[in-house]
Amino acid sequence: MARRTVGAPAFGVTVASLPDSAEAVAARVRDARANRASLRITGARQWLDAGRPCDAVDELSLAALRGVTEYERGDFTITVRAATPLAEIDAVTAREGQWLALQPFGSTDGTIGATIATASWGPLASAYGTPRDQLLGCEVVTGVGEVVRAGGRVVKNVAGFDLSRLMTGAWGTLGAITEVTMRLRARPEVDRTLAIVAEGGADAFCAAAWRWLRASPYAPLAAELCTASLATRLGLEGRTLLLVRLGGNEAFVRAAEESVATLGTTLNVETDVWTRLRTLEPRGSAVIRLGALPSELGSVWSAASTVVERGGGWAHATLERGVVRCVVPTSDGAEASERVRGIIDQLDAPGSRIVERLPAPLWASIASSAGDPLSSAVRRTFDPDGVLNPGILAPLS
Amino acid sequence: MTAPPVPALGGSHDEGLARALAAIVGERRVLERPGELRAYESDGLPGYQRRPSLAVFPGTREETVAVVRLLAERGVRYVPRGAGTGLSGGALADDVVLLGLHRLTRIISIDADNARAVVEPGVVNSTLSRATAPFGLQYAPDPSSQTACTIGGNVAENAGGPHCLKYGVTLNHVLAVTALLPSGEIVELGNAAGEAEGYDLLGAFIGSEGCFGIALDVTVRLVRTPQAVHTLLADFSSVTAAAEAVSAIIASGIVPAALEMMDAATIQAVEASIYAAGYPTDAAAILLIEIDGAAAGLGEDAARVARFCTEAGARAVRAATDPADRARLWQGRKKAFGAMGRLAPHLAIQDAVVPRTRLPQVLAEIAAIGRKHGVQVCNVFHAGDGNLHPNLPYDGSDPVQSAHVHHAMKEIMQACIDAGGTITGEHGIGLDKLPYMERLFSDETLGAMCALRTVFDPDRRSNPGKVVPVHSCREWHGAPSARRRSA
Repeated sequence: MARRTVGAPAFGVTVASLPDSAEAVAARVRDARANRASLRITGARQWLDAGRPCDAVDELSLAALRGVTEYERGDFTITVRAATPLAEIDAVTAREGQWLALQPFGSTDGTIGATIATASWGPLASAYGTPRDQLLGCEVVTGVGEVVRAGGRVVKNVAGFDLSRLMTGAWGTLGAITEVTMRLRARPEVDRTLAIVAEGGADAFCAAAWRWLRASPYAPLAAELCTASLATRLGLEGRTLLLVRLGGNEAFVRAAEESVATLGTTLNVETDVWTRLRTLEPRGSAVIRLGALPSELGSVWSAASTVVERGGGWAHATLERGVVRCVVPTSDGAEASERVRGIIDQLDAPGSRIVERLPAPLWASIASSAGDPLSSAVRRTFDPDGVLNPGILAPLS
Repeated sequence: MTAPPVPALGGSHDEGLARALAAIVGERRVLERPGELRAYESDGLPGYQRRPSLAVFPGTREETVAVVRLLAERGVRYVPRGAGTGLSGGALADDVVLLGLHRLTRIISIDADNARAVVEPGVVNSTLSRATAPFGLQYAPDPSSQTACTIGGNVAENAGGPHCLKYGVTLNHVLAVTALLPSGEIVELGNAAGEAEGYDLLGAFIGSEGCFGIALDVTVRLVRTPQAVHTLLADFSSVTAAAEAVSAIIASGIVPAALEMMDAATIQAVEASIYAAGYPTDAAAILLIEIDGAAAGLGEDAARVARFCTEAGARAVRAATDPADRARLWQGRKKAFGAMGRLAPHLAIQDAVVPRTRLPQVLAEIAAIGRKHGVQVCNVFHAGDGNLHPNLPYDGSDPVQSAHVHHAMKEIMQACIDAGGTITGEHGIGLDKLPYMERLFSDETLGAMCALRTVFDPDRRSNPGKVVPVHSCREWHGAPSARRRSA
């Protein structure tokens, strides 16, 4: 049965009672609304340790909504139910030489529904963008228990207002996602990874790497700058490294490798380094993402990487998106919490500062990300009584 | 807060309104006389005429804000308009105020280091790419009307274009918008210098067809100008063979920058026009295929694409010999809609999207529908996206012909929906596709769209009556008060 997680209530739902259709989910939501109850939406329970406060009375488990509904191989689209694990989508699409090019950080046991609901992304966002760029349509159950089917199953679609984008990253507060249609990509014919050793100051190297990315014709699948502490954890040489993933035909990749080599000493790295990078952070880590214009990321990187390494953590930066992701492992206890707070308080950036995961006790000090009047009005429109994941983004006003 | 809408605005907007607007923008920028307003009765889609009650053209951001606030105070309905090149009747103002934004043409900044630019809504799409070209950068979405259409209009429609196959549509290229809501309030959507957090209101705003407000400025992402480009023209003796080539190319995993199809009727219209591109006039269909990126390895991809065409039955595949040849091949494609103007006074334009695996089947069905109703169908479309543009030239003054075209349109739309597709890929719903929304979406979904609109525009004054059928905007659920924004 469900393990008790900090910040989440203990649930006692039996598998037999799990809703197995959008209509059944809608009935549960309508019941909850009529009874003035609230629901915490769960799938594979992989994201609960984001630690976000959620004061729901009951659990709405979507775990029974699992499996591929439709896979149009020739159209590079797949429709899957929300609780389908990413690993299952990977396995199904790999057989056709395709992939869902999202690969967010975290366990591959995580579900596609949670990935969309949290707008989670990984290093491949350099080339393919984030969930909002890859979601074609979705079916959701709103907070009033109505089934809404937004978008469609084709790769281009502007029919009506874009409810799909709205559901992406809403943490379930506008609707419980029950099914999604995603765009797929061909797996590259050749897929190779290089590590470039950052020589000289990290700040200058970061700037040089960005200039290469911005001007080079060889757009990589991913380009991720890693602190020395992270490189060690990945089984690589313990120095600041730029991991570059190159995909295409042999001639392209070979030319790209030569071009990347102008940045410094290169090492060949097995492609599975990306799987290790995705999955190495312990559950319950504190994760803060700092954003800046890519050309200004160097100073953010220098300051943040020093702070997190001193605190026993590590950082990596997706240069193309101007984001430094800082990871600080945590342990239980008030003292540990205070230590983490001390670290994250020093992390700042000019463009954005997004708290991705945090031990539950620390959330109280984090400002809401959806507290502006327009967002509050959207929330009241789709979930007027605060049935779905109340408090997870913002207190209801 | 805003006053309630004036119930019977009719054609007789009060003179006080024109005077008050003129005080903001100057008398020359307010048009009231029917003769002056005639130019604003249509957009890029011939066949619809709606006369605005008056038209106002602010020239600065400040004037725009003042105009919208005045309209809000008086509860006046209005329709925002860019260059008026839209293809869905979306910018038509039916006896309400037309708010033209094409004078807001400032490129506010180009940040070459970070590959982004900030522009006012009236900046013309291709003007932006020209301005960024010296930095080796371009704005990727390239609607066929790009030499006239505005970035503000592109944002409103979530516009696409041939090169969106590889690069993505407007949504994928806009980082932030300063939005002027119909209430006159200004909000920042997205994040121009970092990650956006919270609800993706920017994503909701893009493609909202002017119903959620006006973009006062738009921060866009720029992409590298490709190092190398291969442009191929493949010539087929049947539409089915061309469609099969498209399916084979897509299935191979190669993502061309553009993959366009034109059928015989379109080729002949283009070749008879001033935009003649040298297309083979005896072909049943041609594919215009562009592969771009790093020079290394690109030749291999182009050769594979050519082989897929040959295997599907292409009579010939030729490559553009130089940039002038490439430009000529593209001009024929981009001006194809214009060339169809030679065929008949009016043109019904479709924009449906189908799964790319269904292209051969759907194109055969469309041809059969055309034959059944005795109407001509000219296909020119983004085959790589499955985004069809079957266009039906007709004479709108002939009621019999118009009726045939109307029935054929309905059946084509239904065939695309039945194939698992959608009714518009890039032109928007506007007025033209409003009747088809209920075939595509449930009452609940339409109600949800309407409710979202109400968040941005509680009085539904901005572009009234577009996108979602008015009768779908019933009280969506039992909490009408929840839809009102607090003051």
